[in-house]
Amino acid sequence: MQSLTDELKNKIIKALNLDKIAPADIKDDEPLFGTGLGLDSLDALDLVSMLERDYGILIQDMEAARQAFASYRTLEDFVQRNRR
Amino acid sequence: MDPTMTAPRVAIAASGEVTALGLGQERLEQAVLANASGLRDCPRLAGKGYQSTVGGYVPDQVWGSLRERDPAHADAPAFLLADAALREARANLGRSAPNVAPGSPNTRSESCESTLLDAVPASRRGLVLSTTKADITALEGALDHRPNSVTAQRHLFPALLAADLGAAHGIAGPVQCVSTACVSGLLAIQQGALLIQEDKADLVFVVGVDLFSDFVLSGFTMLRSLDPGGCRPFDAERKGLSLGEGAGAIVLARRETLASPALTVKGWGSSNDANHLTGPSRDGSGLALAMNRALQKAGVTPLAIDFVHTHGTGTSYNDAMEGMALRSVFKAQVPPYCSSKGLFGHTLGAAGLLETIVCLLAARHQLLPGTPGLRSPDPSVPDSLLQKPRPAESLRRLLKLNAGFGGVNAALVLEWGSG
Amino acid sequence: MGEWMNPFAILAASFMGREGCGNDRTSLRPWPAPVAEALERGEFEALHWRTLFRSEASRFGRMDLLSRLGLMAVELLDAGLETMEPAQREAVGVCVETRSGCTAADVQFLQTPLASTFASTLPSTVVGEICIRHRFRGPVMCLLPVFEPGGSLEIARGWLQRGEAGACVCVACDLMDKKFAACTLSPHDAPSGGWQSCAVWIGRRTGASREHPWRRNSLPRLAHSLVARGVNVPNPGA
Repeated sequence: MQSLTDELKNKIIKALNLDKIAPADIKDDEPLFGTGLGLDSLDALDLVSMLERDYGILIQDMEAARQAFASYRTLEDFVQRNRR
Repeated sequence: MDPTMTAPRVAIAASGEVTALGLGQERLEQAVLANASGLRDCPRLAGKGYQSTVGGYVPDQVWGSLRERDPAHADAPAFLLADAALREARANLGRSAPNVAPGSPNTRSESCESTLLDAVPASRRGLVLSTTKADITALEGALDHRPNSVTAQRHLFPALLAADLGAAHGIAGPVQCVSTACVSGLLAIQQGALLIQEDKADLVFVVGVDLFSDFVLSGFTMLRSLDPGGCRPFDAERKGLSLGEGAGAIVLARRETLASPALTVKGWGSSNDANHLTGPSRDGSGLALAMNRALQKAGVTPLAIDFVHTHGTGTSYNDAMEGMALRSVFKAQVPPYCSSKGLFGHTLGAAGLLETIVCLLAARHQLLPGTPGLRSPDPSVPDSLLQKPRPAESLRRLLKLNAGFGGVNAALVLEWGSG
Repeated sequence: MGEWMNPFAILAASFMGREGCGNDRTSLRPWPAPVAEALERGEFEALHWRTLFRSEASRFGRMDLLSRLGLMAVELLDAGLETMEPAQREAVGVCVETRSGCTAADVQFLQTPLASTFASTLPSTVVGEICIRHRFRGPVMCLLPVFEPGGSLEIARGWLQRGEAGACVCVACDLMDKKFAACTLSPHDAPSGGWQSCAVWIGRRTGASREHPWRRNSLPRLAHSLVARGVNVPNPGA
């Protein structure tokens, strides 16, 4: 069975249309936004849509979400804790 | 030396519109006076996962009567709306005679067109179209090879829509198509004024149109920028915008050919934030730049402005940014300002035209319009925000603003009077 | 054509198309064979920033193709853009004309509905991307030519003449790929197929020999003639 890490990294790639990126390119502790993977605020919105659709997590406040999205590790923790 | 300083002044000879409030000027006028909202829910769109289905929909009976009047274009909605606004404007050209009171019953007759139009040969008439997506509803059909009318599929391309509208309205002079996001309308008005000032046309029809579509609704849902309850511009609890569909048309002519009083295009300006594709620069400096450019071109200082008609979409970012831009330009003396997005929704490519028409109505009635949808003003925006309409002491110089994706900003200075 | 145009001239031009790319200094250089072949197959992804430039352009790979075309045409210009002062950038006007519009991006959004793909479903996205990269804050315009191309040169002339801009960049870019073709009924209803992108930089004359007088002309034809006329210098990297 696929681990959450594999599943989530693949979903991120698909949801954000990152077609040149492989799951191994998403480093656990590098920033997701700005530097590191280099995502921007439009990608943040697409990430939120994916979390809602695939994990049942409803995010009302984008500012609070920003902290959860700091790195892949914080994002995975967030999903673990909040998924339905 | 700016050659337009000595060029002929250009003013609005007539206007025409079709919006969520209905077809024709009286409906729009009544709504402005009553501070009413034309936003409603659309049950047909429920269950599709859109963030909001509340918007400014052109009423079904209006669509029905437009299709009945022009069956050849029944399947070409962008054309139907733009054409309707142009027909209204042409019919209203007869009212720019001095002894006709505003709000007279509209005879809806082509013979109502004034000698103003008759005096201008087709080759001296121009048209400028403003639209962001033209007939985007034809896109899905085109891809699925489902039957679209040939016309509808043509109108996927805004330039072809412009050409067809020009042909339908006897325009053999310059035809242009502006598509610069939500500032298209104001830029199109600017282009129309230039055509007259540069002596390329004597009469220019400037028309803006955009449709309510699944395409745009789903896009704004992705951006999470819709308010499920309907937009509340400058409200403390605002959550987002409401989309709208419609068309607005104005006819521009040399000021000296028109009866007093009239609304003259005094100055314009535009700019880019150079910051982000969908978020305005936080400090409002891009919009402030456009405003200052328009004031400078009009040859007036901020103190000369009696009223500002904002972009005021109701999103958290836009309204905060606009508040800062107003403060930056006007300092402690921000004039009374309002937003009409709660009246007919954010009509995208039609916004600049429809909102300029609201300015025209305001000037004619010497009334400061309110902000439908506003309940409790955000304390952090300038407090000269107009919640309800009220009579103006002297409404002479108006400033119209719009901002759009891609960091674009535009401003127009309009002057009402007999001069 | 008007004495008032004397202070202004076309200071630089660039062109990209099937035959190759270049500017008015380098002339048109053919694409390396693999790139040319990919372009013939309609694989526009082959037009990558790294194919032509050493400098960075973040987000380029995530941008829609029309914006990429516009940005590359501006980058090809030999106009000293990298060394402009902020005060000068503030007054640079940007005018884009596109006959194809963003139809390709519209189809992309329908196929992959995302916030990031929606943001590029406006032809004026090209204006936005150019302004963001170069920090240009002057007047803006994006037009879809109705009967003839070249409206952007008129717009720029007006801005400069009326003192509304200090310098202008005009871009004409078109992308008629398979997505675009899927939306057109017949070749007669839409501009002819293919793709191209070109730019001119218009500013105050400095008396340099490279300057070209402004002509009432179609922007793509003008840019092509200014770029192709130079002596064809072999690409040192080939």
